[in-house]
Amino acid sequence: MRLGVLVVCVGVVASLASASDPGVHDRHPIYVGVRACAKCHAGKAAGHQVGLWRASAHSGAYACLWSPQSKKIAELSGIPEEPQESAMCLGCHATGSRVEAWEKEDEFLLEDGVQCETCHGPGSEYANNEVMMDREKAMMAGLRMPRPRDCMMCHNVKGSHVAVLSAPQLDVAMGMKKIAHPTPNDGAAATARPENKPASGTRGYVGVMKCAGCHKGPMMGYQFSKWRDSGHAAAYAVLGTPAGYQAAEKAGARGVPQELQECLVCHATGVRKGAAPALPGFDLLDGVQCEACHGPGSDYAVEAVMRDPPAARQAGLLPVTAQTCAPCHGSDDGSSFDYTAKMKKISHPLRAETLKEGTQAQRYKTPLNLALSPDGTELYVACEASDSVVVVDVASRRAVAEITTGGQPTGVAFSPDGTRAFVTNRLDDTMVVVDTQSRTVLKTVEVGDEPHGVLMDQAGRVVYVLNTSADSISVIDGDTGTEKKRLTGSRGPWAAALSPDGERIACTNTLSRFVEFREPSLSEVTIINTRREAVEQRITVPGANLMQGIAWHPSGEFALITLNRTKNLVPMTRLLQGWTITNGMGVIWRDGRVNQVLLDEPHLCFPDAAGVAISPDGKLAFVTSSGSDRVAVIDVDKLITMLRGASQYELEHVLPNHLGKPTEFILKHIETRNSPRGVLFSKDGRLAFVANALDDSITVIDVPRLEAAGRIDLGGPETITKVRWGELLFHSADVTFHRQFSCHSCHPDGHIDGLTYDIEPDGIGSSPVDNRTLRGILDTAPFKWEGTNPSLQRQCGPRLAVFFTRIDPFTPEELAALDNYICTIPRPPNRYRPVGGKLTPAQRRGKAVFERTVGNDGKVIPEENRCATCHFAPLFTDRTVRDVGTKMMMDREAEFDVPHLNNIYDSAPYLHNGTAETLEEIWTRFNPYDEHGVTNDMTKDQLNDLMEYLKTL
Amino acid sequence: MISSFKHTRSRALGVCVALLAVSSARGDSDEPGEARPVAAAAAAVGGTADALGLPFVYTEWERFSTKDGLPNDHVFAVKVDGDRVWIGTEGGLACLNKKTRRIQSWTEEDGLPWRVVSAIDVHPGTGEVWIGMFGGGLARFSGGRFDHWHQLNSGVVNDVIYGVAVEHDNIWAATTAGASRYNTVTGEWSIFTEKNAPMEEIWNYGCCYADGLVYLGIWGSGVLEYDIERGTWKDYLDPDGEMEIDLYRDDGVVHVITTGVSYVEKILWVTTYFGACRYDGRHWRGYFAHECGLPSDFNNAVKGRSAYEAWFCTDKGLGVVADFESDTWVTYTCDQINHRGKAVIQRGTEVLAEVDTGMSLPHNYVLWAEFDGDDAWLGTSKGLGHAIGRGYYPRLRATNHIDREKPSSGEGSHGS
Repeated sequence: MRLGVLVVCVGVVASLASASDPGVHDRHPIYVGVRACAKCHAGKAAGHQVGLWRASAHSGAYACLWSPQSKKIAELSGIPEEPQESAMCLGCHATGSRVEAWEKEDEFLLEDGVQCETCHGPGSEYANNEVMMDREKAMMAGLRMPRPRDCMMCHNVKGSHVAVLSAPQLDVAMGMKKIAHPTPNDGAAATARPENKPASGTRGYVGVMKCAGCHKGPMMGYQFSKWRDSGHAAAYAVLGTPAGYQAAEKAGARGVPQELQECLVCHATGVRKGAAPALPGFDLLDGVQCEACHGPGSDYAVEAVMRDPPAARQAGLLPVTAQTCAPCHGSDDGSSFDYTAKMKKISHPLRAETLKEGTQAQRYKTPLNLALSPDGTELYVACEASDSVVVVDVASRRAVAEITTGGQPTGVAFSPDGTRAFVTNRLDDTMVVVDTQSRTVLKTVEVGDEPHGVLMDQAGRVVYVLNTSADSISVIDGDTGTEKKRLTGSRGPWAAALSPDGERIACTNTLSRFVEFREPSLSEVTIINTRREAVEQRITVPGANLMQGIAWHPSGEFALITLNRTKNLVPMTRLLQGWTITNGMGVIWRDGRVNQVLLDEPHLCFPDAAGVAISPDGKLAFVTSSGSDRVAVIDVDKLITMLRGASQYELEHVLPNHLGKPTEFILKHIETRNSPRGVLFSKDGRLAFVANALDDSITVIDVPRLEAAGRIDLGGPETITKVRWGELLFHSADVTFHRQFSCHSCHPDGHIDGLTYDIEPDGIGSSPVDNRTLRGILDTAPFKWEGTNPSLQRQCGPRLAVFFTRIDPFTPEELAALDNYICTIPRPPNRYRPVGGKLTPAQRRGKAVFERTVGNDGKVIPEENRCATCHFAPLFTDRTVRDVGTKMMMDREAEFDVPHLNNIYDSAPYLHNGTAETLEEIWTRFNPYDEHGVTNDMTKDQLNDLMEYLKTL
Repeated sequence: MISSFKHTRSRALGVCVALLAVSSARGDSDEPGEARPVAAAAAAVGGTADALGLPFVYTEWERFSTKDGLPNDHVFAVKVDGDRVWIGTEGGLACLNKKTRRIQSWTEEDGLPWRVVSAIDVHPGTGEVWIGMFGGGLARFSGGRFDHWHQLNSGVVNDVIYGVAVEHDNIWAATTAGASRYNTVTGEWSIFTEKNAPMEEIWNYGCCYADGLVYLGIWGSGVLEYDIERGTWKDYLDPDGEMEIDLYRDDGVVHVITTGVSYVEKILWVTTYFGACRYDGRHWRGYFAHECGLPSDFNNAVKGRSAYEAWFCTDKGLGVVADFESDTWVTYTCDQINHRGKAVIQRGTEVLAEVDTGMSLPHNYVLWAEFDGDDAWLGTSKGLGHAIGRGYYPRLRATNHIDREKPSSGEGSHGS
């Protein structure tokens, strides 16, 4: 038994009764916060443990997230939120960031960064004196003594941090030594820190955390964080360090510096003789706090007073001048005190510093889709990167207005009368209604996950929004903006087109349906009956995936769609036979028949066919190739004649794969700018407009002459940043053999294509691997399912060159830019749990299952077989390879990369070979011997709860 | 598979008691080549009947079997959705298009995930057909595509599903191991068993939703009511606890071995294997075969049409309480030898009329009832029955005269 700490930890034991979520917390340890620990672990007798922590980087881990470097790291990690509001950042930079409010004592402060309980576990059950004094009891009650591997949960090298901070791999032994905070075993008794004894009615010190209630976050210029990042915040704590003792001794002070008045007057707040009393909430530990300079705040800390400068002054708010600093810094170790320089160093102006404001100057537009107003005078262009719609005047061919709509606008459509426009915001899960007269947003409507395509029916009654990540279609009342119902799409509803008679809406789905293992894709065009506002038909398109663009022919007889025909079942070495990913088009006949043709030609592929439009007279179709910056001009009559003249065998087996046929119906290719996506014709058919996503422009095509006739600048920055360059490379097929495909072809918009690939040249069907999302992957190295690539540069460079780029791989500079871009692909916020949000009851139960250490049979689950051992926050991967019993006959290896679980719900199928269509199947079908966690003892409702929790990660 | 069937139905043999005048007045009863409906009473009608009036009796029937394109004659579930009648059978799913008079069917070869379709409901907004399968879990049929949820790939608690009900965006499934609820928007599965509901047994048989309330009929646990808004459960058990007899009449559910529930106009209709009952929120009313028109106490299912009318599907025919207040019943049975149908009108135990309806139920083992405007569809162990409600009226109608024509022999022979 340790004897060093003898005092009763008054008040440390968590008051469970005060928790705010009744009925859920009786079995859980909760976080008490470092300030509760400090009640015993401060002071000399306790080895200044809390002081040592306070002087460490752990203590400032939350505060440092305000810094420009942190924002850069977040950007590099594809985190669109403020770092201090990001679950990913907070996962390592603050204790208890993922737990619910009821799991934290009222005194617990997230702002205290990485506190004792990050390493030692939530303390409510072991923090009382009786338990704490008995190590065995304490361990039983949840006290953990961290091991090096526990440190690595956060300190494993992260590419994003290396890139910005040049931080080397942590030497754990050195790190442990650096933060060592042993309890003295000399038997000296710790003294409880004095409680504040406020004098009623007297002006007093409220403490910095009271100030922080308002003065934190980007809108307040991160004032609290800037203070916490300064030497002032650690001024008291450093007195407990060896350096503090040395300085005290040098200054002639005798005793414990933290107890000496002469030290405290400058290293703490409110300790001068005659100073106002400390009020509840004030903590000496916080060193030189706001009130050290601004005066005791009890009377001016009220918001109404604070917002009235004369009143605040009257209430005691002191102006800060050189004289304020002089008493402590006047002789500042003998050197002269440069007031101006020091003030600059601790500058904390009250000025908003939002993430977007900081990068506004370099925000590109990235136009994806466009719509023509019914009167033909204006183009509305959805610009993904600028969160806006740019309005283009057709006559003058100039951008005339920009309307901010929300995060990542993707789709845009007009009402039939042209009075309203509808814009989908993929990041925000919303659709906005824009008044086209005033060019203002009238209404924001919540829809499903990642809305993309949008259109209104012919009667102007109903808006259809395609929720590409939710596999659904929202049916919205055009007048009220309320969602009437949600239809079932296929996988990844993408774009919609209304038949000329207004009776039907055809929707493309970008991902194939789930198919049996080692079976070719089977994609779907979903047909909606506008009268019934319901799905009436699902037309399957065999062998196709990434079906995106769609347009109805004016006759109403058929629609054209763009598609890929990916040969994912044969090794990618087939690339050199020109046949790995073929790009084409589908003809969806009104009666449900489907024909497919290629747009590739033998030596000139047509990568990433994205958008399609048909001229008003029905004679021409324009198809964009975002991977080769071209528009294919299709003679529709020739195409249809060819199809009508083909035998059934030819239609099914020859034309869909025939590289020679496109010359029969493609009249010409027209060059565009970078990455053309959406395309449409003018009302009279004499012009066509193409949205060049990575050129921030519209290409105008003179249709009679079939030539590009101009570029409309949408107003993006002229400079090409490294990230933008990488984005260009990612979307360009120039680097692949015959320009068959780009990175985007398999990772559309940085996400998944839902396919399982046979990549290696090791025989057909050997080691098939599921395609994984690129969202937020930077810090999840190693890469590949077998974990053989240590870095993205390796993955995208030499690795890619082996099979894909081969002859002319990326240069080192290109590779760096590409990797830079890939890192920044934003990961959408979790749809099942907002940051800091409450868990649902099922999620809460699921969390307990996820974290359980004992099975239903009462047996302890070996640590190596617990969920949280391999999948721990915030990435939920330990970044190793492990054998979880999923090796199949054709697999080379048994050990596979431990995947991260962030937003795991949106990247089905699962497991290394994509054999699990749902999360459930990972355990119901592919874990028969409990090698992938102990799950076979679970009841069905436990498994359901676990699924619900997994979706929150 | 799509099949056309020969139109086989009988209209002339039954008795439209009290409807004759109406039917004639409408002038819509004659169709080319078909006999004019004949009303007849085969039994004496007492004075009470004249005073209170008589119920409508279905005398026009159609039957559908495998010969007409059904995948199997054991019809477990029927659901009407506009012009379509969805039919769940032991051998697959079928859909009868009332306009084209064609039956299309789906078996496992056609993508149906499991052969035995035991329950069907249709989402009123999306038109999606939700299918409970006996041993196969839950499926959604939409636009020709089947999506399948079962124990291994989803959170459905058990693959043996007896009942399905659509509640807003939730799909409820009554399974042999509890009730499952699937939220089609969030994808969340919830399971209700003895752990989180007052479910003494977990063998859920029946399931229905109306007016913010979900009802589960549970084999051995009576009826459970789930209030959607409040998220609370309420259980209805047999207060006397007797398994052999209903010791105190009208004290609650007649028996805890519940097979069917139907909630309409704030009235809960319940069937058990030992009788049936009705609950108005305050009073229970029990029904047993020996004291009313219920053909048998062995009830498979019930469908309430209103607060006054419910159809009870039993192993010995169809019992229709046509007017709750007067306890007036019409009991439909079919002679299994000559296949002629009979409708018995009775008030309590008093038989008011007995009518030869000619064609009637395909079989007396009735498994399901579904209303379709004035018509009704019956799932039986020998195919699908269609009761055509030409001139249907609810409850009772006063009768000034009863046409006593005898049915003409030779007409209305059983269908194909």
